[in-house]
Amino acid sequence: MLKNDRSELDYAQLVKKARSLRPGNGYRLKMALLANVSTQHLTPLLKALFAGNGVDLEVYEGGFDAIELEAYNAESGLYRFQPQVVVILQSVMKLKAAFYDDNGDRGSFGKTQADKAEAVWKAIQARLHVPVIQSTYVLPPERVFGNYGLKVADTLQGAVSEVNRELALRARAIPSVFMNDIDCIAGWVGRRHFLDEKLWAIAKSFCALEFLPEVAQSIVDIAMACIGRAVKCVVLDLDGTLWGGVVGEDGLEGIGLGDLDPGGAYRHFQLFLRELSLRGIILAVCSKNNEATAREVFQKHTEMVLKEEHIAVFVANWEDKAANIKGIREKLNIGFDSMVFLDDNPFERNLVRQMIPGIIVPELPEDPGLYVRALAELNLFETASHSGLDAQRNRFYQDQQKREAEQKQYANIEEYLCSLQTVADFRRFEPGNISRVAQLIQRSNQFNLTTRRHSEADCEAMMADDQQFHPFAIKIQDRYGDFGLINVVILKLHPAEGRVEIDTFIMSCRVLQRGVEQFAMNKIFEFAKRGNYKSVAGCYIPTAKNAMVKDFYAQFGFVRDENPRGEETWWRLDAGRYVPRKVFIREAGLAGAD
Amino acid sequence: MTDAEIQQKLTAIFRSVLDKDSIELTATTTAKDIEGWDSLTHVDLIVAVEKGFKVSFTTKEVMALQSVGDLMRLIASRCK
Repeated sequence: MLKNDRSELDYAQLVKKARSLRPGNGYRLKMALLANVSTQHLTPLLKALFAGNGVDLEVYEGGFDAIELEAYNAESGLYRFQPQVVVILQSVMKLKAAFYDDNGDRGSFGKTQADKAEAVWKAIQARLHVPVIQSTYVLPPERVFGNYGLKVADTLQGAVSEVNRELALRARAIPSVFMNDIDCIAGWVGRRHFLDEKLWAIAKSFCALEFLPEVAQSIVDIAMACIGRAVKCVVLDLDGTLWGGVVGEDGLEGIGLGDLDPGGAYRHFQLFLRELSLRGIILAVCSKNNEATAREVFQKHTEMVLKEEHIAVFVANWEDKAANIKGIREKLNIGFDSMVFLDDNPFERNLVRQMIPGIIVPELPEDPGLYVRALAELNLFETASHSGLDAQRNRFYQDQQKREAEQKQYANIEEYLCSLQTVADFRRFEPGNISRVAQLIQRSNQFNLTTRRHSEADCEAMMADDQQFHPFAIKIQDRYGDFGLINVVILKLHPAEGRVEIDTFIMSCRVLQRGVEQFAMNKIFEFAKRGNYKSVAGCYIPTAKNAMVKDFYAQFGFVRDENPRGEETWWRLDAGRYVPRKVFIREAGLAGAD
Repeated sequence: MTDAEIQQKLTAIFRSVLDKDSIELTATTTAKDIEGWDSLTHVDLIVAVEKGFKVSFTTKEVMALQSVGDLMRLIASRCK
């Protein structure tokens, strides 16, 4: 099914669907709703929408208008429930009342309200290391000055905008606080229809019921990104998608770009795609074309916004697209459910949909001028993290292809690994790497032993606690380029039992078979021996995606614990019995390296 | 619209919203008589009735409703 299919956002249909839901065996998610509106109408919508994404939702609805009571009372139902995500929903109707009642300085209203919200986030996150999703406020209709109000300080409209702005600024400083942009939703569906004063009066309803599914979908989008379900790659057709016409027939000068692209529709679309690339979405090309002909457009056409440097994998041939997309997926080592395929041709879209379950294939409108809008409406690119490295992601994959081309020249793998001159930067979690660490924890699915999605706040707590944790990360570069931070290991310390436990072992699939995991394991045992720990233990928790590491511990000589605990397997190895692995990686900063 | 037509259409709306085909409405039916008609579904019903009959009630009118008869009279007053 198409992710976020907006045609299914019908209130009555979703309520019906929620009624017929049976407890499934999907991913279980515990969500707390704290609100100063009634949440009873929202809960079934959330359950139905999450179920559509394979998630069984369990909801705790906090007391009506008791957000602060729940947050500040350590004994509250919120904390007893132990949610994995907390959603805060606040109505502008309440905010208005506060604005009108406030006898204080209206000029500081925005800051005061945002301070209150921030204090609630911090109170919650002091007790629960979980994401908090804060709503913004829809701009209310009243304007006592009319348009002139924009020229006047301290109006209601100005105050609400100011609260929204102040909330966002504060959320930027706290990575595990996310914004649920209600005013954006209301603006999209029409603010004059969004608020329903009558339903507010009789039932404290957040908005008109028909738009409640949009609010629920927004929460689902954010929460799914928080648990690591995010789009990572967009696969692009060329003819009719990135430019008008067919380059093989119309020729380089004849395709619909520049003067031959009335309204600049394709150029606008390419600008949007380039923006996605800069924000870390991998772009790939999958086109029925001669490769040289297709590449020539990227190399020579002056109106092309996208260049070859923006494309991580370029496939142009005459084979079927489903097979080609499978090839692209293998190169990138990501799941089909994190890929979006864009093609103007309905035949190709249907073929890919049928042949590749899980891949997201949006309908594209006939008019290329509407491509950007059609994608925007689906909100496909929600994310839970952002780091400076995102912009370089496409380049990583291109470097990789150069490596693969060169690999063929070497007689054996050792010789090849030596030739790469890989240098590793190994260090404990620190403020400078923590956001990338958290991002890797959210995004990695395959080379991930336990798939424990520790939040950035969790990581910060572990960083500060060297009595209980030794969390470290590894950055890699070689002579072709910089991979950045690609390995995260969290060791949980049990000094009383003389045991180190591998809580988390994650590696980016970009660096498979280079000895990084061996390098990291050597580091784990060096640490264990230095601290006089007797043994190292770890577990493998199977998921739908991490089968590639099921024999990870066996490969290092760990012995399997005979007593299985559910699906997990547990492994242990005496520190003295570990044989350090030979690696072709030098450590940065050590004598002799560099 | 005749009272009978209103009653018939209203019944269809109640059956659809409450997902129960066995619902029969009379003027004296109240929330207590129908399983699933609670404060939550009451809001759904009002919204569906307004949409179904293309009418809009005031807050006061909605709050004063006590029975299906009240609702039918309210609808009739708008659909003359």
